[in-house]
Amino acid sequence: MSHTVLVCDDAIFMRTMISDILAQAGFEVVGEAETGTQAVDLYRQLKPDLVTMDIVMPDMGGIDAVREIVKDDPDAKILMCSAMGQQALVVEAIQAGAKDFVVKPFQPSRVLEAVQRVLG
Amino acid sequence: MDLSQYAELFLAEAREHLSVCNQLLLEWERHPEAREPVGGLFRAVHTVKGMAATMGYARVADVAHRAENLLDALRRGTTVVSDELLQLLFRTVDVLEQAVELSAVGREGELDVAGLAAELERAGARLAPAPGRAATSAPAAVPAPALGQTADVAAGRLVEVALRAEAPLKGGRALVVLRKVAALGGVAAVSPPPAAFEAEEFDGRFAFRLQSSADAVAIARAIRSAGDVEEVTVDADKSAAPLVEGTAPDGSRARHLRVDLRRLDALMDLIGELVIARGRLNEVAAVRRDPAIDDVAIQVSRLSNELQAEIIQARMTPVWQVFDRFPRLVRDSARQLGKQVAFRVEGKEIELDRTILDELGDPLMHLLRNAVDHGIETPAERQRAGKKAEGEIVLSAVRERSRVMITVSDDGRGVDRTKVLERARRDGLVDAHAEALTDDQLLRVLARPGFTTAETVTSVSGRGVGIDVAMTRLRALGGTLEVRSELGQGTSFVLRLPVTLAIVRALIASVGQERYALPLTYVAETVELGVAPTTTVEGREAIVLRERVVPLVHLRQLLEVADAPLPARRPVIVLEMGERRTGLVVDSMLGQQEIVVKSFDAPQGTLPLFSGATIMGDGVPALILDAGGLL
Repeated sequence: MSHTVLVCDDAIFMRTMISDILAQAGFEVVGEAETGTQAVDLYRQLKPDLVTMDIVMPDMGGIDAVREIVKDDPDAKILMCSAMGQQALVVEAIQAGAKDFVVKPFQPSRVLEAVQRVLG
Repeated sequence: MDLSQYAELFLAEAREHLSVCNQLLLEWERHPEAREPVGGLFRAVHTVKGMAATMGYARVADVAHRAENLLDALRRGTTVVSDELLQLLFRTVDVLEQAVELSAVGREGELDVAGLAAELERAGARLAPAPGRAATSAPAAVPAPALGQTADVAAGRLVEVALRAEAPLKGGRALVVLRKVAALGGVAAVSPPPAAFEAEEFDGRFAFRLQSSADAVAIARAIRSAGDVEEVTVDADKSAAPLVEGTAPDGSRARHLRVDLRRLDALMDLIGELVIARGRLNEVAAVRRDPAIDDVAIQVSRLSNELQAEIIQARMTPVWQVFDRFPRLVRDSARQLGKQVAFRVEGKEIELDRTILDELGDPLMHLLRNAVDHGIETPAERQRAGKKAEGEIVLSAVRERSRVMITVSDDGRGVDRTKVLERARRDGLVDAHAEALTDDQLLRVLARPGFTTAETVTSVSGRGVGIDVAMTRLRALGGTLEVRSELGQGTSFVLRLPVTLAIVRALIASVGQERYALPLTYVAETVELGVAPTTTVEGREAIVLRERVVPLVHLRQLLEVADAPLPARRPVIVLEMGERRTGLVVDSMLGQQEIVVKSFDAPQGTLPLFSGATIMGDGVPALILDAGGLL
């Protein structure tokens, strides 16, 4: 059975792109969230194998969402999506419990490598 | 031992280190109070010294040795480096660059370094009067990294990790590494402290103590599984050599081997031949319809595809290998001309075929010099125009599908089109009634050899210098050049290049009895003549495509092939380059395929329409059309 993924990003463009990359690699994108709150809610509902999480999102940021999700499920596999220059935030996200990160602009191969690392 | 066989290797590596020196010096000049550059400089010069001494290049070694002493004193001291010392170090690196080149070809004797050596000696003595310093007594070992020293006090095995230079957000990655390794045992004495990981400047080298009895290979594997790890040394205080491990799951490039470029070229040629043979095999298989031959043909196709992809990848080189020498060039030009310029490089990690990259250096140098000389105004002029005194030049590389786009842009005065237009009208380069110049026309005017002379257009004087040269080079590589300029705002030159030269996908079209290949890079679409509406614009036949007029060119006429009865519906290949589009009418289209590009020396009298030749599957050669020339 293919792995299920929850994609969290406030930009439709980014969500589409990430979903495409993952879908082409055989993952099943079961949900998309555009805020941190939605991400936490959907995680509880869907229990996906993997979450991709943007750092900067409205209402609840990605890092706070990681904290919430990990509080419920310490084994949650969360991959942060960050931009160049967000070193401090990525460090914070990993400390909060994210397993790995990829840096925009995304190269499909890099994204899939990171996904394999997180799931592997 | 015969050392001559190592001369090339020495040269390649010494060049790299000296290039690093230049970058560090530039950084140091901008931030004289910074401590990082001097450490890097010391290490690079030290390495050059050691290599030169091994090769027996005494003069290189001598200059490097004295420079190293000076740097060591600066490194240990607390004084902020003076401009005078920086200029001395810049000159030293220049001399070393020249010295390694001469030494590698056996002409070291032509060097006179006595003056510089004395200067370095005096400067070093002023800074470090203490006699008998360790570093002054020749071949000093590379100082152990500070990391190891601080970690010594704690218990556990010392592990040192270096992340790949190109890895983004190294601090985050370092934390992922620590997380992975924590599964094997207790982690302590992390150095630098994890707080430093949050800084953008974190260079990706760190060390820690690990309390674990796991074997070194397992530890290294766990660390590598975090991704972006260049080097791991387990038990760093016991064994000197880093633990080199084979292919890790993330495909980390731990092992490098320097290969003579000519070897790669030869390999590429052979694979080219193989691709041609594969084409023949496929044709034979199609005729024979023998399942056994089909099987072999499919297998050979797959293998040669993989081989080809591998070798193309092996030839790929990040653009920084050429870009890294430009900060120094821009700085020197700016200083000479009394300009203030901030120079930024973006997309350093983008890769291009080595051959293309090597050819790019000169055109880019021309464009950058032009930008400093003619683009950026003097500080006074800029302030009068309400701009910052410091101008900005940006060199950036971006990958776009099968091409790489490189841009050189400045925020200077821009090109004064009215003046260029005047001049262009006078020289008959544009219609006498032309009222304005498009970017396209502007480039064509600027690229006229010798277009500008001092007495013509003051604000763009010399803009043309080098642009014709740059354009010719780029065309030869199958690339294109565009210009965008806004008066008072700045000028950008945009270069587009294929990622690789040797094997490209092409459309195969026929005219008369011959086949021609047209690289897909410049093909926008194909349409059918007789279906799209035809019109006439300024006496030229054209088709209208989505409300845009595309002028037509009949390949038959260009090639002077005798007329023959042809169907009214013929294919039109629409070529596109920047804003320009041209429809190329051919007799028929034979499909797409990969072709191996062979450069050729066009015989006298050949039309300037071809960029090379290729051999088709049946062994018959075909010419490759130069899209740039057709547009």
